[in-house]
Amino acid sequence: MAKKNPKEKNTKEKEPEYISVQFDAPRKYRWSTGKYMGRTYQEAKENKKLVANRCVKCKEVLWPPVEVCGRCKVEAGEDWVELSQTGTVMQYTYLVYPLWDPHYGEKFANPYPNAMILLDGGVYIRHFLEETDQKKLKVGMRVQAVWREDHERGEGTADVKYFRTIDS
Amino acid sequence: MTERVGICAVAQTKYSPEREDAYEGELAYEAIKQVLEETGLTLSDVDSAVSCSQDFWDGRTISNMNIQPFVGAHLSHEDKVAEDGLNAVYCGMAQVLSGHQEIVLVVAHMKESMAEKSLIENAAFDPITMRQLGMDFLSAAALQAKRYMYKYGITAEQCAKVAVKNRGNGMNNPFAQEPMEIRVEDVLNSKLLASPIRKLDAKPVSDGACAMILAPAKRARKITKKPVWILGASNCYEAHYLGDRDLADCAALTQAARKAYSMAGIRNPLREIDVAEISEEFTYQELLWTEGLGFCDRGEGGKLVDSGKTRMGGKLPVNPSGGLLSGNPNGVAGMARVAEAVLQLRGQAGKRQVPGAKIALAHGVTGICGQHQAVMILGKK
Amino acid sequence: MPNRVAIVGIGQTRHQNTRLDVTLPEMINEAVRAALADAELSLKDIEAVFTSSMETFEGIYLPDHGGAAEIGTYMKPGFKVGTGGTSGASVVVEGFSMVSGGLYDLALVIGFEKQDCGETTAAITAAATPIWGKGAVTGAIGEFAKQALSYLETSGAKEEHAAMVRLKADRGACLNEYSHLKLGLKSIDEVLQSGYLVWPLRMLDFCPQSSGACALIFAEEKKAKKISKKPVWIADVEVVHQEPFRAGTFGDPTGKETYTQHVACERLYKRNGITKPMKDIDMAELYEPSNWEEMSLYEHFHFCEKNEGWKLVEQGVTEIEGAFPVNPSGGVIATNPIGATPTIRVAEAALQIRGDAGGHQVPKDIKTALATALGGPNWTVLTLLKRSL
Repeated sequence: MAKKNPKEKNTKEKEPEYISVQFDAPRKYRWSTGKYMGRTYQEAKENKKLVANRCVKCKEVLWPPVEVCGRCKVEAGEDWVELSQTGTVMQYTYLVYPLWDPHYGEKFANPYPNAMILLDGGVYIRHFLEETDQKKLKVGMRVQAVWREDHERGEGTADVKYFRTIDS
Repeated sequence: MTERVGICAVAQTKYSPEREDAYEGELAYEAIKQVLEETGLTLSDVDSAVSCSQDFWDGRTISNMNIQPFVGAHLSHEDKVAEDGLNAVYCGMAQVLSGHQEIVLVVAHMKESMAEKSLIENAAFDPITMRQLGMDFLSAAALQAKRYMYKYGITAEQCAKVAVKNRGNGMNNPFAQEPMEIRVEDVLNSKLLASPIRKLDAKPVSDGACAMILAPAKRARKITKKPVWILGASNCYEAHYLGDRDLADCAALTQAARKAYSMAGIRNPLREIDVAEISEEFTYQELLWTEGLGFCDRGEGGKLVDSGKTRMGGKLPVNPSGGLLSGNPNGVAGMARVAEAVLQLRGQAGKRQVPGAKIALAHGVTGICGQHQAVMILGKK
Repeated sequence: MPNRVAIVGIGQTRHQNTRLDVTLPEMINEAVRAALADAELSLKDIEAVFTSSMETFEGIYLPDHGGAAEIGTYMKPGFKVGTGGTSGASVVVEGFSMVSGGLYDLALVIGFEKQDCGETTAAITAAATPIWGKGAVTGAIGEFAKQALSYLETSGAKEEHAAMVRLKADRGACLNEYSHLKLGLKSIDEVLQSGYLVWPLRMLDFCPQSSGACALIFAEEKKAKKISKKPVWIADVEVVHQEPFRAGTFGDPTGKETYTQHVACERLYKRNGITKPMKDIDMAELYEPSNWEEMSLYEHFHFCEKNEGWKLVEQGVTEIEGAFPVNPSGGVIATNPIGATPTIRVAEAALQIRGDAGGHQVPKDIKTALATALGGPNWTVLTLLKRSL
């Protein structure tokens, strides 16, 4: 602990002490998944599958699934497709500082990588990677979804714990 | 101002105590879909979208992201007004008047069931001096009701009459959540929430959405055979701290109303307005707001409801839709009042129709004890 | 014919990390007073007040209601808008619509944010749909890190170029009495030595969290000419939102998607006869949360070709004495009270046109300026300001 220079005490003015009010109460929410994301949640929980709908007009797979295709501006329809669970890492960031997740009130243990993965079949998904050694992370590496246990599932994409590196 | 702004179509979802089945965007789309179908427009025809939702309620920063795809905002103009829905209609109106936009889609959505109402409302109170009192809009309203009743001798029975009238009117409204045939005694015997407000004096928790399409006069006439014109509109803020204003008065409402009337050329509201849809979160508020709107003198709100003038068939029916008491989420409420006013002027109000309505008033409130007031006058011609 | 609208009053607070000495309304009051003093008006003259903030940052519901007296909303019409990062510019657009549409002759437009009240990154993370939250949380920093990585890998830019942009911003900030971060950086080595926050973004590559407010007074033409000798005209505005990119937030690595920046500036330039942006416009105040993004924005707004943004930096074109100054105020990387930041861009551009930017006034005469806003996910709002229409 640094010692205060005795001379400093006389020349420096006392820092003003500001009084502030603290607020720590959690705010609870209950978000409905609705018809489309609700189905994704259900498939993930019950069948360990990732599903999304394909827009009837542009034929793109909409992830997250949605009633109206934002780009086409028409109702997307209910052509449900199952997404592949393996993919390629397109981009990743390596977070070194602890991040608060405000929805779940947790602080993620750091450091950890978060990646943009291109699933085989063409859908982009953002998710965590299992590999925490930054030196081993590479754009282009192949990964596969690892699911949580049966009793842990029920949180949509969070049912996929992370993506594990696999040999291509 | 060069062009008038017309409302081409309106839609509401049936208000419900809990829409567990619907994600916020899907809920908004239920209303949006209807106005698109009615006008034959598509999301690609929409030049600008003005939405109304609250980040705190949706539990999401930038809550308009919940409705992005549903309003056709991709590569288009979009904005979000964070007050009661009537202000979103006002904002859309300005966009059309300024000539910057033509087809404007206005939508409000709110799911009061998804969050803890008291905790969110508590966050509106000044964090330094008021929040630790644990107040929410209900307890603040109770203060206002007590003060109003004390100053002008308004009675609990007069307040109860509003509930009887409005909930009864709600029986004719297919969108109403909790219409009821009740008597004054039922209200006075209902559970006390915060003296003097009882359960049947208060609006219930509600989920729902409302949407409408605005256009400049030339285009409105092409889109619909029955455009409804916005003749005047204004809003106004009051002081924030409850002690800074006499809660028995509503100076902000009086000012907003005066400006709206002046724009619409209305001198005697009681005579010239055919139907009024106002935002009464609690029974005493309808009495107070009728004073602020100039339907009667200061302190005479109780006498006005006694006189029967605001009943169906009376001189100026107030809330033929059943109002907020029959179930309307805050935030959507003011826009729903505009929607109801439009239906009345088009003669499409079914069993709750006020015959021959030509001029209608819509009113919305935001905040603690109606700190923010908004008024809009609509007309057929 | 819609009214012409000019900015006749400009006020800001001295932006800082924390303003523990004031409450939120008191802080806003400082900016409002400054704007009124600048216009030589009093609150009585103001007919309506429009505000912008992201209330989840302060944890205050309806912040435009609290302290109505200090903010100036007491017994006046108005409302609050909230669209995230672009909020402060959305309020400029709405205020502009209101005055242009003839509803008000004099309006006060305020952007504010007191980020010391809350947990900013948590609030930004809360912008992800809560239902999709867990897998995608990285806050704004993570997303800009991805953008930086993309730019580093594909454009030919080097970390040195990003450092040069940071130096430029700091030089401007040190000359700007209102800016937050005044670091006194002397060389790009100082930037290159700062630690990585989220690789490849370094600590110094990203904008801070600031507390501050910015107020503008808009007037319709006749009043504007009476009130101000130097009204700054709002020539045009353009708002473009988008669906989030499939493979990114602020950058699209697939190359298949459309950027709002392109759509917005193409529409704005076409309407205003701008064919060579760096010639037809004199300077820009861009909303650049990171120095890497600034280089991308040069390309997006067609100041130069794709992958050439870093060349403008190398050639010193966007320096304060350059041919096309960008962010002489220090930009967002020096000052970022989110709800106010876009409003500050408009204010700074207006000050340059008036010749009132003090220490950071650019040497060349500014007749036309572009102010931009960026919000999540990659929304754009543009404001074109002119000395005369």
